[in-house]
Amino acid sequence: MSGQAFAFLLAGGVGTRLCLLSEKRAKPAVPFGGKYRIIDFTLSNCVNSGIFDVGILTQYRPTSLNQHIGSGRAWDLDRSRGGVRLLAPYRGSQENDWYRGTADAVYQNMVHIRNRRAEDLLILSGDHIYKMDYNPMLEFHRDRRAAVTIAATVVPVEDTNQYGILELDSRGRVLSFIEKPKEARSQLASMGVYVFRRDVLWQALEEDAAVESSNHDFGRDVIPRLLAKGADVYGFPFPQYWQDVGTIDAFYAANLDLLSDRPTIDFSDADWVIHTAILDLPAVRLGQDAAVERSLVANGARVEGRVVRSVIFPGVVVEKNAEVVDSILMNDTRVLPGGRVERAILDKQVWVGQGARVEGGIGGRPNTVCAEHLHGGLVLVGKGATLPEGVRVGPNARVDPDVVPEDFDGDVGPGEVVWNPRATGAAQSHGHPPAGARPARISSGREP
Amino acid sequence: MRGTMAVFLAGGRGEGLGVLTEHRAPAAVPFGGKYRLVDFSLSNCHHSEILQVALLTQHAPTSLNEHVGAGRSWDLDRAQGGVRILQPFASRVRARWTEGPADALLRSLNEFDEAGIERLLVGSAEHVYLLDYSDLVASHQASGCPLTVTVLAVTPGRPRRARRVEIEGERVVRLASTKESVDRGHVAIGLFVFEMDFLRAAAADAAPRTLFEWVAAAAGAGVPVHAFEHDGYWEDPDDLATYYRTSMSLLAPNSPLSLADPLWTVETHGEERPPARFLPGSRVRESLVAGGAMVAGEVERSILFGGVIVEPGARVRDSILFQDVRVGAGARLDGVIADKQVQIGDGAVLGEGPPIAAASADVSALCVIGKEARLPAGHRLKRGGVVPVAPRALAGIG
Repeated sequence: MSGQAFAFLLAGGVGTRLCLLSEKRAKPAVPFGGKYRIIDFTLSNCVNSGIFDVGILTQYRPTSLNQHIGSGRAWDLDRSRGGVRLLAPYRGSQENDWYRGTADAVYQNMVHIRNRRAEDLLILSGDHIYKMDYNPMLEFHRDRRAAVTIAATVVPVEDTNQYGILELDSRGRVLSFIEKPKEARSQLASMGVYVFRRDVLWQALEEDAAVESSNHDFGRDVIPRLLAKGADVYGFPFPQYWQDVGTIDAFYAANLDLLSDRPTIDFSDADWVIHTAILDLPAVRLGQDAAVERSLVANGARVEGRVVRSVIFPGVVVEKNAEVVDSILMNDTRVLPGGRVERAILDKQVWVGQGARVEGGIGGRPNTVCAEHLHGGLVLVGKGATLPEGVRVGPNARVDPDVVPEDFDGDVGPGEVVWNPRATGAAQSHGHPPAGARPARISSGREP
Repeated sequence: MRGTMAVFLAGGRGEGLGVLTEHRAPAAVPFGGKYRLVDFSLSNCHHSEILQVALLTQHAPTSLNEHVGAGRSWDLDRAQGGVRILQPFASRVRARWTEGPADALLRSLNEFDEAGIERLLVGSAEHVYLLDYSDLVASHQASGCPLTVTVLAVTPGRPRRARRVEIEGERVVRLASTKESVDRGHVAIGLFVFEMDFLRAAAADAAPRTLFEWVAAAAGAGVPVHAFEHDGYWEDPDDLATYYRTSMSLLAPNSPLSLADPLWTVETHGEERPPARFLPGSRVRESLVAGGAMVAGEVERSILFGGVIVEPGARVRDSILFQDVRVGAGARLDGVIADKQVQIGDGAVLGEGPPIAAASADVSALCVIGKEARLPAGHRLKRGGVVPVAPRALAGIG
């Protein structure tokens, strides 16, 4: 494959539907599956497909992503030729500025492939969970002499209004492509994975850049315009697991699906390793009274209490007599003795105080500020929040990042929000951990 | 730490570790759920910023080579310096194996004698400890002595089988060249700093077989020898009993060895596995379970490495299972060390008996199963039973 393909990975998305989880980080940087971040799947697909030349386009809150990717070492993408580059918007002497859309992001970075031999360019979304060898798609694309090939997956009828829906002929040629249709002609949805012939892409992006009214989006603008001109656009059906985790409910369901007897996606395949940044943490430590069932627990976690049907990330501590059920606990979160967490997503470095009860449910009163995304009964707790001793938090509640016990006004009822009064403007990006109350990272077996 | 190169001796046969070292160097023996013994020395180098490192190998170096690779896991893959593995080689003038560590060290002196190297830190690649080598080197330099011996105070009531050292102030007065049971005072832990000038002069003499004999002779001959005291955790798991006890001490709630200090991580190679998977019905207590393991049965006071599978109804107690061991449904394991890829058939019973007390581990009670051995369904093995390494594993990498 060397020199034959180059991948642009779109990682600039704001991900508003993930609410708190993507408030301080780009959606591809959201943790997933006990030790990964969402982008790991696409990036591992690249290297496992033999594509070692990747440009990651970032814009929204790239700090976590930059830190995670680093020099690309975990993916063997720290290379003298090719490798991974993080491409953020910059200001130059010409019209460069913030990316106006996905197509504009690629357009502004076409200079990056000037010295590449690649004839076919992959445009990938960094938002999805799937294992895909891109080579069959590249072969399909070359075999058909396609201008553009769009990977497509079958989605449930009721979800078709959230995707770009393709209609194909028997050879795979796209007959129609309609973004978020009210009434879909098929269940075949674009996966946000495109192969473009290099000349086609360049021309299409130049044209798009000149259109003032364009949203500069691949799905909404570039592809429809190519189709209208009669370009050879093909669809490549991908029959395996592909999951959009862009909503709280989908994110939760995809994580919990990993706990089923036969998960739809296998992370332990030695021939298709999902690479992620290496943390150098010891094996999971289980205490004398530990009880863990139907759960994923990552290295560096310590369990003294009970964990059932949950996904536990590195450095999490579940203390004695604490209980975690049907929940996702991200890195270095800690449930103190007697604490209880059920049907909740706890972001990194959350502290659940002694005897506190974070208990989601099914349905109930939707969240008062993000009703659209938080209505299924889950509790959402933001990064670095400290929940006071004995507090009760109900279904669809939202606890904002970095809140401290003083920010709580008693228990948190269904659908309520605990705001962080210090989170205004610039301060929001850093937060204020309670002074001296706790270390920034909790993963040692020796901490007090 | 400019001017200092670390040299780790990894050429021993490790006879005390039985079938675990039949096909691999002792430094490559798996430890603590995901590590190999050499990881401690290399991680110490990384954190101490000693960026020039050599490993001297001789016996079964394949798995060690594979593990260390270019040194990437410890940031020792460097354009300048980094880690090197030195295996005895034949030249036109000679072709002979090395005869003990001192010989290995002196024979490789030309390799180390490069621009800017003023002293060598010399240790074993098989010891388990966390130590900032820059403290040791600084103490050595401040002493003005041509060589430094690292010593450890023996905890009263916990005798160690080691080499006794007598010190006065910070000077070594006498160093025993053989191991004995020491219940007070200090012992040497096989970690030295040598000035290059001293080594060059010494290389001219015929070298005794062990490094300790050589240092003891120097001390006896009036060479000023500095003593540096290491006041932290240190173990030399050179026999099965010590290996087992050292491993099991990690399970204690207040384990004296911290593997999770974010400022002094223990780094290793090649454990890219998903989180550990606990299935319905699993019961795991007082154990370490590494990523990639999958447990449906019952596990108590045990260490499970990555990829271990404990099938439903199986019960594992007081055992250490290396990577990718499979314990069949209904099997029972008590006090078993199973090397990589061992397959234990359904309903097999290994090492039946009352629980083994880790603190006073009687090696004769442990069952040790060699790499890739396959024990059929219903197989029974008494306490102290040993199953040799599968012949195909001897040819491979451990």
